[in-house]
Amino acid sequence: MKGENPNPSPRSGAAAELLCGVNAKALLDSVDAFLFDCDGVIWKGDKLIDGVSQTLDLLRSKGKKLVFVTNNSTKSRAQYANKFRSLGLSVTQDEIFSSSFAAAMYLKVNHFPPNKKAYVIGGEGILQELQLAGFTALGGPEDGEKRVQLKSSCFFEHDKNVGAVVVGLDPDINYYKLQYGTLCIRENPGCLFIATNCDSVGHMTDLQEWPGAGCMVGAICGSTGREPIVVGKPSTFMMEFLLQKFHMSPSRMCMVGDRLDTDILFGQNAGCKTLLVLSGVTTESILGDSSNSIQPDYYTSKVSDILKLLGE
Amino acid sequence: MITKAAVLVSASVTAASSSSSKSLINPSHRYLCLERLSFVNSLSVSALAIKWRSVSNCSPNKFSRIMKTRASTQPLKNADELIASVETFIFDCDGVIWKGDKLIDGVPETLDMLRSKGKRLVFVTNNSTKSRKQYGKKFETLGLNVNEEEIFASSFAAAAYLKSINFPKDKKVYVIGEDGILKELELAGFQYLGGPDDGGKKIELKPGFLMEHDKDVGAVVVGFDRYFNYYKVQYGTLCIRENPGCLFIATNRDAVTHLTDAQEWAGGGSMVGAICGSTQREPLIVGKPSTFMMDYLANKFGILKSQICMVGDRLDTDILFGQNGGCKTLLVLSGVTTLSMLQSPSNSIQPDFYSNKISDFLSLKAATV
Repeated sequence: MKGENPNPSPRSGAAAELLCGVNAKALLDSVDAFLFDCDGVIWKGDKLIDGVSQTLDLLRSKGKKLVFVTNNSTKSRAQYANKFRSLGLSVTQDEIFSSSFAAAMYLKVNHFPPNKKAYVIGGEGILQELQLAGFTALGGPEDGEKRVQLKSSCFFEHDKNVGAVVVGLDPDINYYKLQYGTLCIRENPGCLFIATNCDSVGHMTDLQEWPGAGCMVGAICGSTGREPIVVGKPSTFMMEFLLQKFHMSPSRMCMVGDRLDTDILFGQNAGCKTLLVLSGVTTESILGDSSNSIQPDYYTSKVSDILKLLGE
Repeated sequence: MITKAAVLVSASVTAASSSSSKSLINPSHRYLCLERLSFVNSLSVSALAIKWRSVSNCSPNKFSRIMKTRASTQPLKNADELIASVETFIFDCDGVIWKGDKLIDGVPETLDMLRSKGKRLVFVTNNSTKSRKQYGKKFETLGLNVNEEEIFASSFAAAAYLKSINFPKDKKVYVIGEDGILKELELAGFQYLGGPDDGGKKIELKPGFLMEHDKDVGAVVVGFDRYFNYYKVQYGTLCIRENPGCLFIATNRDAVTHLTDAQEWAGGGSMVGAICGSTQREPLIVGKPSTFMMDYLANKFGILKSQICMVGDRLDTDILFGQNGGCKTLLVLSGVTTLSMLQSPSNSIQPDFYSNKISDFLSLKAATV
């Protein structure tokens, strides 16, 4: 299975080019597939970003394959397909690669034993993908209601058969979950610590940024002193599955995202072309700041600029 | 058929370094902030190796000592000699004096003996859930004769730190932590928001919902918080990211702690790790092993650090605290550290002495370990 990547070809300090009519056409001609991040690119929270629908239609009409790669693990692929549908976009489940799916696939390709369980600090999406892949999952949203009693007489129990703790974005994070995950990792021999992603913040709603999975993962790193295995961007783990589906070279793909240290790095690491959009967490000043070393090939304000620049 | 594939990825996540962190790199400081994610070429899995940057403990005081290679630790054999060589004993509490709410055997007699020999006793705990006054009550309940002025909790340290930098009284402090921190801030005359009350607040991630935060918050103080939730994380994150110059202060970063005598519990390191994750900032740590509390009490009592013996159960906080301060150090095995952890090749922190528990002071020869 082709998956071994050569050293990523860094842009060697060459600054990102602003997308314009000429390079937009060149970009379109040089790639057969577009990989889109979702939060801050396609939508913000539950609001579709302007012009996305028409742009995706245009790209499809030009024969481009579309794939959606999201670090947001709160939904499963099936739930994401529903979200796309509710926003008027026709995207099928197998065009979606969520980090919830990535976590389940990681366990699968690494032959996670069927008699072992996974403890989830995260949303319904992770639970669903794990269950779909045939694994037993504990935790998830319902542990958000559980409270802890710090009394001598109350011993906090945990399942000794938990062989992996999977941590993702969890707006229902609480001490019960932190303690459960901590005990599993510290006391169950060989227990894996898997992070769907480590994004620090994201546009969970349209009006502002909210702490991302990086927060929950940071909490577990803090209590265990362990490093997680990260399955989401910028890890190229999900790329393996993408390549399986499309039988095309990564150099014929363009990754479109709003975050430098996940989306753009993912694209670069995999050998794709990269386009940063400024409709999400990254501003032009962050891109141009001297402390930033990640330069996408191109940048533009939002996805629908592609439509506009091509004069369609 | 999906097969495992080797991937080589190099990633770099820039952790914005706090301008207040000192540049001294001390390899035995375990304050780890995510600096780099790099993916190792592996035949078996897409493995992420996170490279941790050892940051200095952000001691608020100038600290330019370089760690010397230390001799290996020895079991305490001649307790009297150690006692005679110092004027002050600093004791950690959890795992040394008590475990949860249970006093460890022989503690009262040991403390009495040391006092009878004219030794000053000080208690320094990273546990920020109580104020000094509340700890005073705990000591009293357990039948120990300890004055509030002899107790230095990391809750107190946070307030004392803000005082030492003349934190403006018109600025506010947002607290992700428990009552102890609130009480100490109040005593020091600072305005605070947050604390346990915010544990009941819920958020709904829906369109049009905007979470407001007080623009006058000039510091976020993070410590152990059993009422930890997403509301608090977001509030603290917004303050740190959006209020210019907002400080990020951690009472401590202990990974786990014996909150009850029966088992370990996720500690302050967890809450602090969460905020590091969402802000990509490093905190200023006021608790052990930062020497802030050591400098404070040495100054207050007019004692020389070489005349102090630090007694604790945790290598990367208590013993490091003692070593950083230039004190003698004694590890007791009555808490989180076992003999095999101490002797493990992966452990680089060597206390001067180790013993089972502090009541070993009562015997002329150390108890066999």
